[in-house]
Amino acid sequence: MDIATLLVAGLANGSLYSLMALGLVLVYKTQDVINFAHGEVLATGAFLGYTLYKVVGLPYPIAFVVAILLGGLLGGLIERIAFRPIAHHPHITLAMVTVGLSFALKGALRIPYGRDIYVFPPLMGHTPIMVGATAISPQSIVTIVVALMLAGALFAFFAYTTMGKQMRATQQNITGAALVGINTGRIFSFTWALSCLIGAAAGVLAGPLSLLYPDMGTNYLLKGFAAAVLGGLESVPGAMVAGLIVGVIEMLFGGLISTAFQEVSAFFIIIIVLMFRPHGLFGQKPVHRV
Amino acid sequence: MWVRFCERWFGLLLILGLACLPFFLDKYTQFVVNLILVYVTVGIGLNFLLGYTGQFAFAHAALMGIGAYTVGLLTTRLGISFWIALPLAGVAAAAIGGIGALPALRMKRAYLALVTLAFAELIQWVLIRWKDVTLGTDGVSIRPPRFFDYALKGDYKIFWLILVVTVIMYVIARRLTESRIGRSWVAVRENEIVAQCNGINVTATKLVVFMVSAFYAGIGGGLFAATLGYIVPDGFGLLQLVLHFSIVVIGGMGSVFGGVIGSLLLTTLPELLREYPQALELIYGILLCIFIIFMPTGIAGFLKQWRVLPPEVMSRNWQALRDRPRPEKRS
Repeated sequence: MDIATLLVAGLANGSLYSLMALGLVLVYKTQDVINFAHGEVLATGAFLGYTLYKVVGLPYPIAFVVAILLGGLLGGLIERIAFRPIAHHPHITLAMVTVGLSFALKGALRIPYGRDIYVFPPLMGHTPIMVGATAISPQSIVTIVVALMLAGALFAFFAYTTMGKQMRATQQNITGAALVGINTGRIFSFTWALSCLIGAAAGVLAGPLSLLYPDMGTNYLLKGFAAAVLGGLESVPGAMVAGLIVGVIEMLFGGLISTAFQEVSAFFIIIIVLMFRPHGLFGQKPVHRV
Repeated sequence: MWVRFCERWFGLLLILGLACLPFFLDKYTQFVVNLILVYVTVGIGLNFLLGYTGQFAFAHAALMGIGAYTVGLLTTRLGISFWIALPLAGVAAAAIGGIGALPALRMKRAYLALVTLAFAELIQWVLIRWKDVTLGTDGVSIRPPRFFDYALKGDYKIFWLILVVTVIMYVIARRLTESRIGRSWVAVRENEIVAQCNGINVTATKLVVFMVSAFYAGIGGGLFAATLGYIVPDGFGLLQLVLHFSIVVIGGMGSVFGGVIGSLLLTTLPELLREYPQALELIYGILLCIFIIFMPTGIAGFLKQWRVLPPEVMSRNWQALRDRPRPEKRS
């Protein structure tokens, strides 16, 4: 296998992991909880995209936008219904609810889609573009470009809009944000909506690269975790960069050593990061305050 | 004193009553009763970690798998006696779990969940891929254990073995949670920094509780293998884990009774819902959310409030699950 081919495929997968990690980091920064239902959000996004594109027959860009908006709506609803009443409960309660949600979402997906496996057709055909000896599948390019556009939009959102600035303020200090008049409840809802919107986008993009089945989220969730941990768990640019690194490492491992190890690379990445650089590439050393 | 006295005699009567069950039940009900007892051990083990120490981990189903495979492989492939293999199953699960969780124990709580989630995938992967030893997806069939020259074959005879082991594990759990060790777990749950100031080595406590919990999972897995007689790697996946979480949360976090109540309810539920297996995950998920939001101490907590169950020493008023101001984030 050509190294450049592997690199492009790795970057395509990696940009999905980046999006996953971004969604996880956003919620973690705001609510101090890891969203274990994020894999199922991805699966929901993928199935929404599939249904809108294949069953309803919308053109792809419209199907994509509608699917991610619905994903965002789902996130907002989850926060409003399940998390607002317990927003001030300790970490373990919140984490347990996300676990319950992940099972519930997966179960809900199984009712219409059963245990079958669905195929999401690639957007621009199967024939790879050849650049010299390097084979690049058009889907990889679509994935990378869309992921980069989303990330760019997100950075702009955080830098220039009032809502984005309020979100950052809430992430730094909830009480302080509430004191200066920020409606923190609304910020929580928007954070979840944004996080799930990104997750659903990753799902729609992941559709053609993998197969569609209700359990598809677990793998992406694990790789997203690995990326988030590598990026420092609290850093948005860290999550982006680390996702790409995880994708490339995984592909190089799979292509050059053994494909069997590809599945468990997430575990080794997490363990190695924890051993040698526990606060990740971009995180700050944790400070305990009594 | 009075409570303790009642509990002891009531428990003894209950055990005697349970021991007579095989004479009354049909084969299928007996099998379900066996499973309930197996899940009592497993549920109590997870409760140590989740309920008593407040640590979040996803490896319990995988550790149960390690226990089951240890018993299965040792007895079937090496011909070692079941009575040696069962304790070894617990030890193996505790050792492997301890090594896997070690890097995460010094970090913030979230990391233990992340590491164990990936670790559980790794174990499942090993069980499937290491075909020379584990026979891969073909699964392992387990030879029935022998008591001297008497083979404990079939659901009725294996029941007494499971009952004895479960009672032992239950008594150990009650003793443990009321001892210094159990109190240190609760102290770590309530506030790590305060626990540290009181001379508790937080990392060591977390390691101990993780390994004890894994030991229970391993023993439970060994019994599970003996009950089913046949194990496959898929049996220790996410669905198994949902069941464990539901047992602990619905039964009651931070209560040994909770493990018993939870396994009683949640082992019978899937048998009742045999017609709709696809709805199982949805029901478990929704039940988990509802209980954790509205009834965080589970059924055991509810019964203790109404004085149906005796109070347990360190979990009378579990504040950690109720409203409490969030600790200020660093800025």
